[in-house]
Amino acid sequence: MFDAIVVGSGAAGVAAARALSGTRSILVLDVGHRPPPLPDTEGTLNELRQHSPDLFHFLIGERFESLHNLHNPPVSLKLKAPLMTYILRDAATLSPHRATAFQAVMSFAAGGLANAWGAGVYRFTPSDLTDFPVTRAQLDPFYDDVGAHIGISGEDDDLFPLFGHEPVLQPPVQLSRFAADLLRGYRRRKPGLAAQGISLGRTRLAVLTRPHNNRPVYRYGNYEFFRPYDRAIYNPAFTLDELIAANRIVYEPRHLAASYREHSDHVEVISRHTETGEIQRFQGRTLILAAGAINSAKLVLQSNRDHDTRLPLLDNPMACLPLFRLNRIGQALEPSDSSLGQLNLICRHDGLVLQGSIYGGPGPLRSDLIFQLPFAIGANLSLLRRLAVATGLLMMFYPCDPVAGNDLRLAPDGVLEIRCGTKPLLPARDVLLKAMRSMGCVASAAMWQYPAMGAGIHYAGTLPMRTQPGRYQLDPAGRLSGTRRIFVADGAAFPRLPAKNLTYTIMANAARIASSIPFEAL
Amino acid sequence: MTEPPAPTLAAEAEAFHLAFFHHPPPAEVVERYIAANLHCLGESALDPTSSAVVRRHLDPEAVELVLRLRGPSRLTQKIQILFYLAEVRSENYGFFASQGESLPAALLALIASVLRSAWKFLKGHYLVRRYRLV
Ligand SMILES: Cc1cc2nc3c(=O)[nH]c(=O)nc-3n(C[C@H](O)[C@H](O)[C@H](O)COP(=O)(O)OP(=O)(O)OC[C@H]3O[C@@H](n4cnc5c(N)ncnc54)[C@H](O)[C@@H]3O)c2cc1C
Repeated sequence: MFDAIVVGSGAAGVAAARALSGTRSILVLDVGHRPPPLPDTEGTLNELRQHSPDLFHFLIGERFESLHNLHNPPVSLKLKAPLMTYILRDAATLSPHRATAFQAVMSFAAGGLANAWGAGVYRFTPSDLTDFPVTRAQLDPFYDDVGAHIGISGEDDDLFPLFGHEPVLQPPVQLSRFAADLLRGYRRRKPGLAAQGISLGRTRLAVLTRPHNNRPVYRYGNYEFFRPYDRAIYNPAFTLDELIAANRIVYEPRHLAASYREHSDHVEVISRHTETGEIQRFQGRTLILAAGAINSAKLVLQSNRDHDTRLPLLDNPMACLPLFRLNRIGQALEPSDSSLGQLNLICRHDGLVLQGSIYGGPGPLRSDLIFQLPFAIGANLSLLRRLAVATGLLMMFYPCDPVAGNDLRLAPDGVLEIRCGTKPLLPARDVLLKAMRSMGCVASAAMWQYPAMGAGIHYAGTLPMRTQPGRYQLDPAGRLSGTRRIFVADGAAFPRLPAKNLTYTIMANAARIASSIPFEAL
Repeated sequence: MTEPPAPTLAAEAEAFHLAFFHHPPPAEVVERYIAANLHCLGESALDPTSSAVVRRHLDPEAVELVLRLRGPSRLTQKIQILFYLAEVRSENYGFFASQGESLPAALLALIASVLRSAWKFLKGHYLVRRYRLV
């Protein structure tokens, strides 16, 4: 019998497993899809596109994977290139769902959704943790440990009060010309912008600019939309592989956990082998659910055979705004580039703190965008070509509190029903437009877009931690109410979402929950 | 006057490639265009509007603009397939990536291409009505 069975190998699962490994026997149960063999790519994507006669297999794919969006706009263009499709593979059959006004993405890959993440990592401030039964002081040692493990680059600048102190911070990644211009524009207008509640600064990224833990530095190849496993960009699968190689965990891939049953001295997890269909049972003294906020909730409902209860579901609502800098129009692409977040923007508005990430650089294929512009194809192509270096994208995240009508339920046919009945109000559009213009960008209200709910891909809140937990809630130690041995380590535990990417906090909280399991008392 | 024969998907690939990239497509692109149409569009890969555009040698850019502005169109999807297949070939790199030009030259080119768009819209409108393309 294992001391702990961890379900899932995403950011939450590996952080929990790592925190226990070495002192406890751990089994990680996972579906665990892996990428296909990755081609050796010399130089940057831009160089490759100029000199390789034909990149069909790499960028489009034998089964025309990159054309997926002809019919279904992908939630993220990062999830459709042929080498990236393993990230969402089989999700529709392994965890079928019906969604109303919500676009849910689920990953059954080793490493989970973070195989495609932007690697933006921010500590939650004490005010971000409002309604959490956990303090920043309790989380800090785990942030420190996770941060030291994954490696974080960035800078202590005007965003310091919102991002906090990082004991080890590598130098920030190199800015694109667009982002460098924007930062200069911000510095010139800082007092006026501060009066409007706007601050701008460097992104904190789990991306290496110095070698760290046997991982190399980032090389600005700009492969983020097309090729996973860049070892400079942290992926939980790296930690998983380290733990497996060091024999610190037992890893069972190709297992879909279906339910669990708690006994007086152990927990039994019932799983189905995804290739043979064989049902297997695993026993552990404790169970740590880390299957992602949606699938952990599904496992709990399934194990309770509950087809009535609706559990809350959170995701940061989003708005997107393309930005242009006239001075850069027509310039050639930068020889080395990146599709990583370049800058973050904070906007304090009506008592709310909103956060945005600014991306520059021509990441996706032009063909993903040509047909979205309103002119003739030739004009659209001419615009995209000439504006590539002059364009950035502001992606704003808004906070999210539980509201009636935004929830999930396990229907009697085993399908998850996800709905978003209440549309959030997304304020501050005009303030943000004005701010971006004063930093020297061309930005138009007509181009301000609200992606569908769910597109934030920051799923959380299904089994929230509370000081006095009720049914399907967790105590502050992450233990599911009414159980002794069941813990939940992923974003399901968050009672609310501040306007901030959540994965660093998921990892710190997962490590905290795993480390504080009172094995001796069980 | 007899109607020209219905063009095949290969003829579409050739016509669209020539219209947008000013040279005939390599054989692989034609093969992939056919396979991608069958994979992505299934039975609707043979689209009467697209066939008519090719058969009658109409301006695909003009017709596509008008149809796209009216709503989702099969012709747009077909041209988009062709663009994906063309974009990943180095011989077309210059169509998709700027090699660098001065700001005034770039601005002039942008203004010209937007004006040309207006002309394409009028032309497309005429072609759609004249040949009853929807
Ligand atoms: C394009 C994109 C960009 C993003 N950018 C950022 C960013 O910049 N910053 C940030 O903080 N976050 C970002 N995110 C979000 C981030 O990826 C997620 O918050 C994070 O991956 C969640 O980790 P998790 O471990 O909770 O769940 P997941 O990543 O969903 O992992 C779930 C794991 O559980 C396994 N699993 C699920 N169900 C079962 C089952 N029944 N049985 C067995 N195994 C199961 C899966 O195989 C997988 O290993 C981004 C996400 C995407 C897609």
